[in-house]
Parts: sequence; C-alpha cells; structure tokens
Amino acid sequence: MASFVARSNLAQSEKAPSDATQPIVAISNLRVEFDTDDGPVVGVNDVSFAVRPGETLCVVGESGSGKSVTSLSLMRLVEFGGGRITSGRLNFARQNGATIDLAKADAATMRAIRGNEIGMIFQEPMTSLNPVFTVESQLIDGLMAHKRLNRAAARKRALELLEHVRIPEPERRLKQYPHELSGGMRQRVVIAMAMACEPRLLIADEPTTALDVTIQAEILALIGRLKHENGMAVLFITHDMAVVAQMADRVVVMYRGNIVEEGSVEEIFRAPREDYTRALLAAVPKLGEMRDKPGPEPMRILGAERKAAPSDAPPPRQAPPAKRRPLLEVSHLTTRFPVKGGVLRRTVARVHAVEDVSFTLLTGETMSLVGESGCGKSSCGRSILRLVEPESGKVWLDGADIRSLGAPDLRRARRDMQMIFQDPFASLNSYRRLSDQVAEPLQNFRLASRSEIEDRVATLFDRVELPRSFLRRYPHELSGGQRQRVAIARALAPQPKLIVADESVSALDVSVQAQVLNLLMELQADLGLSFLFISHDMAVVERVSHHIAVMYLGRIVEIGSRRAVFENPRHPYTQALLKAVPIADPSRRHFLDDSSYRPLSSPIFPLNHAPLPSTYEEVEPGHLVLVAA
Amino acid sequence: MKRFITPKGVVGFALIVVIAAVGIAAPLVIPADMATRMTMSLRLKPPGFEHLLGTDQLGRDLLYRVMLGAHTSLLIAGAAVAMSVAFGLPLGIVSGYMGGWTDTALMRLVDTLLSFPALLLALTISAMLGPNIPNTILAIGIAFTPFLARIIRGEALRVAQMPYVEAARAAGANHFWMIVRHVLPNVFPLVIVQATISLAFAILAEAGLSFLGLGTQPPQSSWGLMIQASRDYLDVAPWTALVPGAAVALSVLGLNMFGDVLRDVLDPRSR
Amino acid sequence: MTYIFNRLLSIILTLFLISVITFAVTNILPGDVAMMILGTQSNPTALAGLRHSLGLEDPLVVQYWRWMGGMLTGDFGHSLVFKVQIATLLVQKLKASALIVVVSMTIAISCAVPLGVWSAVYRNRWQDTVSSTIALFGISLPDFFWGIVLILIFARALGWLPSSGFVDPAQNFPSAIEHAFLPSLALGLGLMAQLTRVTRSTMTGVLNQEFIRVARAKGLGERVVVWRYALANAIGPVMTVAGLQIGYLFGGIIVVESLFNYTGMGWTTYQALLNRDVPLIQTSVFVIASAVMLINLVVDLLYFVVDPRIRAT
Repeated sequence: MASFVARSNLAQSEKAPSDATQPIVAISNLRVEFDTDDGPVVGVNDVSFAVRPGETLCVVGESGSGKSVTSLSLMRLVEFGGGRITSGRLNFARQNGATIDLAKADAATMRAIRGNEIGMIFQEPMTSLNPVFTVESQLIDGLMAHKRLNRAAARKRALELLEHVRIPEPERRLKQYPHELSGGMRQRVVIAMAMACEPRLLIADEPTTALDVTIQAEILALIGRLKHENGMAVLFITHDMAVVAQMADRVVVMYRGNIVEEGSVEEIFRAPREDYTRALLAAVPKLGEMRDKPGPEPMRILGAERKAAPSDAPPPRQAPPAKRRPLLEVSHLTTRFPVKGGVLRRTVARVHAVEDVSFTLLTGETMSLVGESGCGKSSCGRSILRLVEPESGKVWLDGADIRSLGAPDLRRARRDMQMIFQDPFASLNSYRRLSDQVAEPLQNFRLASRSEIEDRVATLFDRVELPRSFLRRYPHELSGGQRQRVAIARALAPQPKLIVADESVSALDVSVQAQVLNLLMELQADLGLSFLFISHDMAVVERVSHHIAVMYLGRIVEIGSRRAVFENPRHPYTQALLKAVPIADPSRRHFLDDSSYRPLSSPIFPLNHAPLPSTYEEVEPGHLVLVAA
Repeated sequence: MKRFITPKGVVGFALIVVIAAVGIAAPLVIPADMATRMTMSLRLKPPGFEHLLGTDQLGRDLLYRVMLGAHTSLLIAGAAVAMSVAFGLPLGIVSGYMGGWTDTALMRLVDTLLSFPALLLALTISAMLGPNIPNTILAIGIAFTPFLARIIRGEALRVAQMPYVEAARAAGANHFWMIVRHVLPNVFPLVIVQATISLAFAILAEAGLSFLGLGTQPPQSSWGLMIQASRDYLDVAPWTALVPGAAVALSVLGLNMFGDVLRDVLDPRSR
Repeated sequence: MTYIFNRLLSIILTLFLISVITFAVTNILPGDVAMMILGTQSNPTALAGLRHSLGLEDPLVVQYWRWMGGMLTGDFGHSLVFKVQIATLLVQKLKASALIVVVSMTIAISCAVPLGVWSAVYRNRWQDTVSSTIALFGISLPDFFWGIVLILIFARALGWLPSSGFVDPAQNFPSAIEHAFLPSLALGLGLMAQLTRVTRSTMTGVLNQEFIRVARAKGLGERVVVWRYALANAIGPVMTVAGLQIGYLFGGIIVVESLFNYTGMGWTTYQALLNRDVPLIQTSVFVIASAVMLINLVVDLLYFVVDPRIRAT
C-alpha cells in the first residue's frame, strides 16, 4: 500500500467555520488496546473527529481499520469485549447542556446515556434480538428503565415506535417473537429500540451489510427520514463506499487504527488527497460506469502489482465473438428440496429452489446469475454441477448430457466444471497443506504423475500470483484474499472449461475484491474459460459479465446481454433492484420510499402444487423478460 | 502450544504422567508378594514411617496396593475406551456422513441405548457374563460406545456440510477419500478430547463396578475393590478408604483438567 | 394432533427397542440360569426341572414374547430372590428411589445454576477459578466416595444423620427425609458439579451473543442483562443436559443405595444382579430404562415452554 500521512485532526474539528454549534461528540486522540493471548493488540491508534448536530458522519474503512472499535468505545461497550481505552477523550454534549468525557464516566452514568441519549444499531439483525422474548417486551424494557413509564404507557409508546419505523401490522408484530420476522423487519425493530428515547446521536455500525440490497435501500431511507424528523446526528460506520456516497454529509476514512483522511463527502469523492483514499475509491465498482463499454474490463486499481501502468493497459485480448460456441446449455432446470416433518420424517412440503431455468453460456464468456438471498442462484450453480440433484431438466456441457451420467462418469465430467465458493475460510481444509489441496483434483483425476504434480501446483501458484513459499503453508496462515486465490488455483488444476464462482468475492475487502476480479478476467482472457458468476452485487456483476440473468424465487425473470439488461431493464423486479443499488457518487443520491414493502413470497409450496412453466417475451434480440405467470 | 501451558493444563498433565508411570511400572517394580502377603500382626496400621500410607485389614502395605491398583484400573479403563472408540468412531462417521435413513436408523438405536444408564448397562453385562477383567473391559466398552457414537456423529455431520467437503466432491473425490482426507482429520480433535474425558469416566466406572463386586475380583487389586474392602473398617481405619479414593480422585481430576484444556485449545467455539 | 400421534408412535417404538435390548443383554449367559441358581454341582434332574419350569427350553423369541406379553397384561413375573410378585415389589422400590432422585436433582439444580451463572459473569477471575476448581473436584470423585465421606462426617463423627436404612415417607415423613438426605446428597454433589460446569459454559456462550450487546446498548443494567436476558436463553440447554443426567442418576442409585442400605430400585437391582435373578433383572432394567426415556421426553416437552422457536416448528 502506498504510504499515507495522518493529518492532525484536532485542528480540523476546531475549525468549525460557519456553524458555531458545539459538536455532539468530539473524539480526541483515542487509543484502544485489546488484551489477547499474544499480548496487547492496538485496535485504534490515534483517532480524532467530531460529529455535529444534525449531520451524518460516515466512518469508512476495510476490515481491521478500527472503525467499529471507535464506535464501541464511544458507548463504552468495548470493555465488554476485552478492550481498554488507554488514552484520549470522548467528549459528549448531554441533553442538559453539560459536556462529559465518556472515557472517564462511571457505569451508572453510561447506563443512563446508552439507549437514552445515544442509540446504537448493529450489523446482524438476525441475532440482535433476544429469541425468547417478544418484540414488545424488548421495546418496553428500555423505555421503562430510562423514562420511568409504567407498563401501559410503555406499551403505547412501543406501538408508536413501530408505526414510526413503518413496520406493517405493528399490533401483530408486538406479540410476535423475533424468529417470526424477516431480517429487514428485525432491523426496523432494532432501530425502533434505539430511537425509543429520542437520542441526540444514533450510531449505526454496518446496519445494512447483512441485508439484501432492496431491504438495504429501505433501511437507509428510514434512517435518513428519522434523522430529519428528529434532528439527530448519525455516526454511520460502513465498508461500502456506495453507501457512504448515499448517506454522508462528512466522511472519515480509517486504515489500521488511524484516520487517513477527513472531509465533506464531495471533497472525498471528487478530490481525495491521500493515496489510500484514492486506491479505495478506484477499487469500488460504480454502477453505471460500464455503460457503452462492449465487454468486461479489469478495474483500474492502484497498486504495485500491475505490470504496466493501469491507464495504458490495453483491454485483455479475448476470443473474437465469432469464434465462441455454446459451452453450457441449461434447459428447463428444476430443483426442489423436500421439507421434512413428523416422527417418520416424511416430506410435508417442498422448497422450489430452481424453477424452470434455461440459458446458454458461450465459451470464453461470463454469465452472471444475480438476485437477492433465496432467489435460487446458488442452488442453480450447484444443480448444474450436480452437487445437488435436480428434479428435472437438461444440462449439456460441451455436448455431454450431464444429468444422464452415472456416478463414475459424473466424477470424470467434473474435470471440466469446477467451483469456487463464497467463504474463503471454510472452503479449505485447515488440516491439509495448501499444495496438497491444490493437488487434490490432479490426484483424483489421475491427471499427472507424482513427480509432475509438484511442478503443476507450483505453476498454478504462479498463475494466481501467490509466492511459491506459500506451497508448504496451511490455510490459517493466509488472509481471505490469499485463500481465495488458492481456491482459484485448485479450481484451475484440472483445466476445466467452466468455473462456477458462487459469491466468490462477496466476503472479501473491496480492494482485495478488485484484485481477485481482475485475476478472474485475466484468466478468462488467457485460457478461454467460461464463468458462471453468481452474485448479489449489481455493480460487480456489471463489471465482469457478458450476459446477465436476474433471478427471483427460483425463476429467471430477465436475461440478456449485460448492456441490454442494465441499460434497458424491463422486468419490474430488475428495475426495483437497479433502483435500490446505491451508487458511489454523491451527486447521484436517490432515496426510495422507505415503506415500499414487498410481501415476502416464499418458495415453499405444498406437495401437490404444480407450477406453471416460465414463459418469456423477447423485447430485443437476445433479451428475454418473464411474462407474469 | 502456548495455550497448553495454563496452570490447569500443567497440573493435569503432570498428574496423568505420574499416575500412568506408576501404572506401567508398578507390576515390574514391586516384588510380587509385597502386595499380597497377609501379615495379621501388621493389620490396619495408620500411615507412618514404615508403611507410608498405612496397611489394610490383611496387613498389606497400602502404598504398594494402590500402585498395583493403578495398573489394573488404568488397564481396564484404557482398554474400554479404546474399544468404545473402535466401535463408536466408524459408527458415528458413517452415520453423520451418509445422513438420510442410515443416520436416522442408527441414531434411533443409539438414542435408545442411551436410555440405559451406562453404569447399569455395564453392571448387567458384567453380571451376566461373569465378572473378571476381560468382561469388565467389554462391559464398560459397550456401555460407553453409544455416547461416543452420538458425539462423533454430530461432529461428522457438521464437517460433512462444510464447503471444503463440497469442494472435494467438486474436485472429483470419492466417498472414501472424502472421509479419509477431510472428515477424519477434522473430527479427530474432538475424538481426542472425548477420549480423554471418557477415560476419566471409565476409571470411575471401573471403581464403581469393583466396589459392587462385579468388576475386578480378588486377589487382583483395583481401587474400587480396595474401597469396598474398607467399608467395614471405616471407623477404625478410614485411611483404608481414603487412600484408594484419593487415587481415583487424582487420576480422574488430572484427566478432566487436561481434557478441559484440550477442549479449549482444539475447539475455539467453547471458549 | 398429528404431532401427539407421532410422539406416541415414537414412544412405543422406543419402548419396544428397549425391551428387545434388555432381553438380549440378560440372555447372553454363556452358562445358564438354572445352573447359576442351583450351583454347578447340583442334581441334573433338579436342573432340568428348574429349566423347564423357567421356560428356558423354548426358543428365545418365545421366551421374549412370554415376558412381554406378561408385562402388557400386568404380570411382571416372580422374583427368584425375593419370592414375591415383581410388580408389587417394584412399585414400592420405585417410590423410594424417586424420593432420592427428586431431592438430589433439586439440590443440584438450585445450587448449580446460580453458581454457574456467577462463574460465567466473573469468567477467568478469582471467583470463576475457585468455583470451577470446586466443580472439577466434584465431577472427579465417584458417588460412593462422596457417600463414604458423608457417612464419616455426618453419621459417624457428628452423628446428625443415619447412615443406612429406608423409611416410607407415607408413614413417617421426617424420618424418611433423614434417611434419604445423605444418599441424595451423595448423588447430588457430583450432579451439581457437572451442572455448574454446563451452566457456566452455556452462559458464556450466551453472553457472547449479539443481542446481549444490544441489550447493554439500550442501557439495561448488567444484572438485568445477565439474570433475565442471558439466563432465559441458557436455561433451555441446561435443562436438556439436566434431563440427560437423569440417566446418570439412575445408574448412580445402584451404588449409592447399596452403600447406604437404602432399599430402593437401585438396591433391588443390585441384589438381583448379584444373585442372577433373571426375571427381576430383566424387569428392573426395563423399568429403569423406560423411566429414563419418559423423563427425557418430559424434558423435551418442557423445551416447548422455554423456547418459542421450537413452538414454531
């Protein structure tokens, strides 16, 4: 990484030219350490910034930057996780006008402030609520503790809060348990809890990272609306530059426990001063920047690994479109999973994971399956490889009928189709050496003699730009991005024709993600590989794909070339999806109505349900849209 | 490696090493008659200079008796645990890995067996076959197998669903290699932890069986037998019970301590 | 409705399996029962006569059917040792053992849960070290050893409580409790140690969950967070483990009751085993295993009350 210079931020926060209002929070020279088995580890080194009333300050950084630790320190929750504030001040302007240093506040004072004057929402809505208490009881206990309301008054207020965050059927939700609510609804409840006592500051720690993009848009809009209605300040922590562009008034960029740069959102995006900020911005795929470009292009990232200067690099040579022939043909593929119940474990219903899916993938091209969670894109990839067995339909790989193969032939056919998984940590066996794991396909398929295997594996490591010294190492010694490269090397080993990349970059930091995407595009150009790229990230998909298929509830709702689908989306779901994606450009903010609530359709049907086949309308040559069934 | 060096780990390990050493060395080092010679004049002497831990009701030196008892108790417990692992490991792995009907059927059988208290099962088998050392090993081994099988099956199930197993399938591995290369190495740490803890319980079980007369039989000595023999002399010579009792306690304690530390090291989730 | 039906089916299936296993285990004698009863030197005619009267000549399946059929009609057989109907014998003995089991469970749970929670809250500090060390000692000593120590202290040295015998609570409640106390304590101490450890580890896991952090962020006091929010989630798994430990308890009563001459189910089973009283062994083992299974079933059902997520499925 290029070097950066940490600015003196005390000077900046004292500047306050036009607004003479006192900041709600002023952090000065915060330093936080953690006690680990290997000695103290610094989480935050020297951080100073301020949040003014009514403004949204976004703290952005990759993993390990210390952004979450900073917010947890403000709430003095970091001590519960083994952290210590070793120095610095956390000045907070209280309701009554007095300013106190939260770093020195005692437990009783902190309890009075938490949930009352400062509210906080976290990343994982699925685990943020106590599973054994009702929604109502979790809303009222904070109210009763801080505002001294009796139970009846607290209940009334709880209902008001739910209406305020626009949860549908609020009376019903009060009596429900968390597991009966979807992720988006749970996050609304968590926000309601944080807003209950009308705090002056809301800290939001990655509140939408775990949500689908359409739900994310709703929640971001909700936070924006609540901020305006209540006049509160928001400290928003995220790793997603697009969300920053959408939400922030001011931005603080963090790296490895230090502040790299600070400024208004326009300053940061238009004229970043530091190399790290520029590198971060360059690595973020912007929705819409591939408009008018014919095919996928590597990202122009900053960094020393590039062999030629990035701006001069010619687009990677690809096989001319005329030479491409169909590699993978999927026809009416259907996969359903049984839902078991009863003591004899009989099937009581079925999940229609993949329903009547058809598409064709050419050699040397990337087809992306894109959709939100539960749409069936992962199941589709697995069904094609027969890692799960489809119920019906046909799959041809280079002329071979994959579905009709018996077990030994199927094993052999796997040579030609490989998979890269989402979780770089769990897709490698922690007990085997990296070289052994990359060699495994070669051994299984008897593709090389013992002596040759070593050389082949070393060559593969070179290809994915990993040093040969890593050959003897174990997975836990590598970072997420490096492990993903090993997974790519393993997938390349049998020289497949098709690689299914199932959310392979979703778990990586954005700068690492860009490098891995570039690697994949390079490999495609050099080796003529085809990719079935499965992802939920529209901006990434726009970058790497030739063709796109949008999936919803197991069906393809729209399919066509990348240009056709992105520049001329016709299906309402595609349009909603594209509208919801935040763009990493502050001048292109758009807020959805935060109550655009789509009733959750479920892909679970009773046993006797016979779904209709998918019928499509061709709106342009090669661009198909699902006709409402 | 560093994480083993906690006070608990060191003490536990030391206890195990000492007792194991005693158990292995005892029959070789102690002259055969020292532990069996009955000298009525020396009976029920309290711990003192000549007999460090006192003597029992037949005048036999308790120190030697308890050392020989270590040999018997550890032998039985170790063999029983080895047997339960030998039966339970393949059962658990096949059940967890194959899933489906095989798993359901096997686990129903195992769950039913778990309704039988382990001690009761061991006692019954031992009583039915006739109590002696091989039968005691068999009884305890069979009684512990269901528990081990269930735990291993749970872990095998978890491992079988991990992406690296699916990746191996995508890379063309067959069932045999998947189990050997991927499932076994990842299940193994749990097996080690459970075996250590089972060893502790096996020692307790053997003591219980012998105490009830359905385990080791005289003239062999085991700790449980010694406690049983001391029942009539509790008032006048409590050390005859406390010495073997302490021996059981120390060995089980050592194993439990070390097992705890093993679990902390090998299974970060339980921290 | 179907759920109840399914559950009943499951119970019947398991009871059947239990009976088969019991029968299998009690009939693996290399020798034979008659010889075991009369001795190896006895008169061959007497042996043959006894074999015949016990029905040992018939194939195993028939013997099994005879036994099961008898049980289904209420005839539990005749004890060779006690010379009475097993049914009447067992009812009395079960009540006696139930007393100990209930008392020891109560002592164990009421002490273990608060101790375990306390340990988890003060994790890795001196309170945790002390309590965890004591718990470690507790699980490392056999029940009968605790029993011996308790006898030495409370019965011999202090003379506060009797060290043997059983008194029917229906006839003399205070005396019954006096006689049941030491055996219950002997059983309960090991159980309490085990449950303390389980509570501690479960609570530690719960306290690391996200919703605990959210509760603190709401400004709830630490006491509420631990004893209401966290414990409500930990109680389910702890209850499950406690239920599983019932099986262990029913094994322990064999040893403890013998030590204290407390004539309950355990003592009876032990006498049966010693004397190869096969009908009594069979029926005792069957009854004990069935009791354990049914208690575990009840614990399963209790989970419905405790965890709303289970109610949904």
